[in-house]
Amino acid sequence: MIEVLQAGLCDLVMGAGRPGWAASGVPAGGAADPAALAAANLLVGNTVEAAGLEMTLAGPSLRFPEGAIVALTGAHFSAVRSCGAVVAWNETLVLAPGETLTIGRAESGCRCWLALQGGLDVPLVMDSPSTFLPAAFGGYAGRPLCAGDRLGMGAQTGEIQLLRGTPPVKRAGLDRLFRVIAGPQAGLFDDAGLATFFGSEFRVAAETDRRGLRLSGAAVRYAGRSLPSQGVLPGAIQVPPNGQPIILGWDGPVTGGYPVIAGVISADWPRLAQLKPGDILRFETIEVERARACALAEWSIEALV
Amino acid sequence: MAKSETGQYVQHPAWCWVGERGLRVATGESTLEYRNKLISQNLSEVDDVIPADGSLLVFLRRGMAPSPALWDVLAGEEVEPSPAAGRLHTVHVEYGGAAGPDLAALASRAGMDASDYIACHAAAEYTVAFLGFQPGFPYLRGLPEALQAPRKAAPRTRVAAGSVALGGAYSGIYPAAGPGGWQIIGRAQICLFDQLRNPPNLLLPGDRLRFVPE
Repeated sequence: MIEVLQAGLCDLVMGAGRPGWAASGVPAGGAADPAALAAANLLVGNTVEAAGLEMTLAGPSLRFPEGAIVALTGAHFSAVRSCGAVVAWNETLVLAPGETLTIGRAESGCRCWLALQGGLDVPLVMDSPSTFLPAAFGGYAGRPLCAGDRLGMGAQTGEIQLLRGTPPVKRAGLDRLFRVIAGPQAGLFDDAGLATFFGSEFRVAAETDRRGLRLSGAAVRYAGRSLPSQGVLPGAIQVPPNGQPIILGWDGPVTGGYPVIAGVISADWPRLAQLKPGDILRFETIEVERARACALAEWSIEALV
Repeated sequence: MAKSETGQYVQHPAWCWVGERGLRVATGESTLEYRNKLISQNLSEVDDVIPADGSLLVFLRRGMAPSPALWDVLAGEEVEPSPAAGRLHTVHVEYGGAAGPDLAALASRAGMDASDYIACHAAAEYTVAFLGFQPGFPYLRGLPEALQAPRKAAPRTRVAAGSVALGGAYSGIYPAAGPGGWQIIGRAQICLFDQLRNPPNLLLPGDRLRFVPE
């Protein structure tokens, strides 16, 4: 069992997504960086899709009356254990009965993930434990955690294997650069519009959440006209008539009527998960085959010696 | 004519990428037929197939390319739209008044009185083209041209659940309360989406629908 002593900014139960429901209007959702949550799960001896917590910008204070085997991955947040031990990221942590883990603010990036041996025990909704905030279902009562919540945990093996995870190597020099495939409506934009999109830097706006990242910067102009709704997916960059692009997120709509100028490649979706308001980014095109190869980068997990 | 990655020439339908995991295919009137054909193939590289207005988005699994079998479906014989075969639903609607705040303005825009406008909306048979926007929100094809109207210039911050609406060439029903930009002409007592139901959505693409004024 876990007691939430104090809630973070937006602590969401996340596990596997809901692929296959888009025709009902429900996006796949799930952890914003599924590989990071999967790695955390492996570090505690779970299967990759067990339900854990996704935390955004500031995390919760959690008490573990019976102790727990946990792991944190993703962006580094300040964090303290009531026993005084250091809270390492990407490693198996053994919490003693009665211990409190307090996760503070993000030191860099935006999101981190907590896995617990046995996983969080929440009812599956449409085959998934993941919270879907736009329709308030899934996860823990369809909402972020609140102080006073008590979450059950699945059966624990009690087996302790101390492991360390290493994220896929980031290509040097990416930093602010996000790689995209142009289209499908890049053709609606004139040369000036395309030059603005590919030649400018954009700032992540405050109105940014799991549905979409709103960008602000030079207006990306096009001959405004409404389009028939088309299917979209995370990373699709819509340009509404005001010219300020929106990168669709994990809980975004499954269809949209704004022109899509480009789509962020899936290898860069985990980096989208770490963008916070005020961050700067720009875009560059890449070939489809290279994007597909980049998508296969994996975490490595090894014994902690 | 476009050349696929397998070197085949794909004449119809036209396709393009949405990121490297989305293959957008222009399927026109045969969108649902193409979707059924793709789903029936059980292709291992396909995560989901999202129907929309005249196009499909094939959502590919991470790192996977479209297989020759997928290109075969796209390049094969053109799929003809099939006659409506879905279930027929009857939806009772309270038109106008507080339930349909935009009805009066739309009727006068169309040069009709409100009762003719309602009769015209209720006389048509609609087909669920696709679902989107909110879980369970149906885009209904079949709205008589005389009734078609653009979305509201400024979206409402709150539209009641069950609101019967129209936007452009489509009619629709809001499954849940929330912001919305379509014109609201009435309200239905109907549960379009319940995540605990199996399947959660009442309407499936291809289903037919008739509105009955209360």
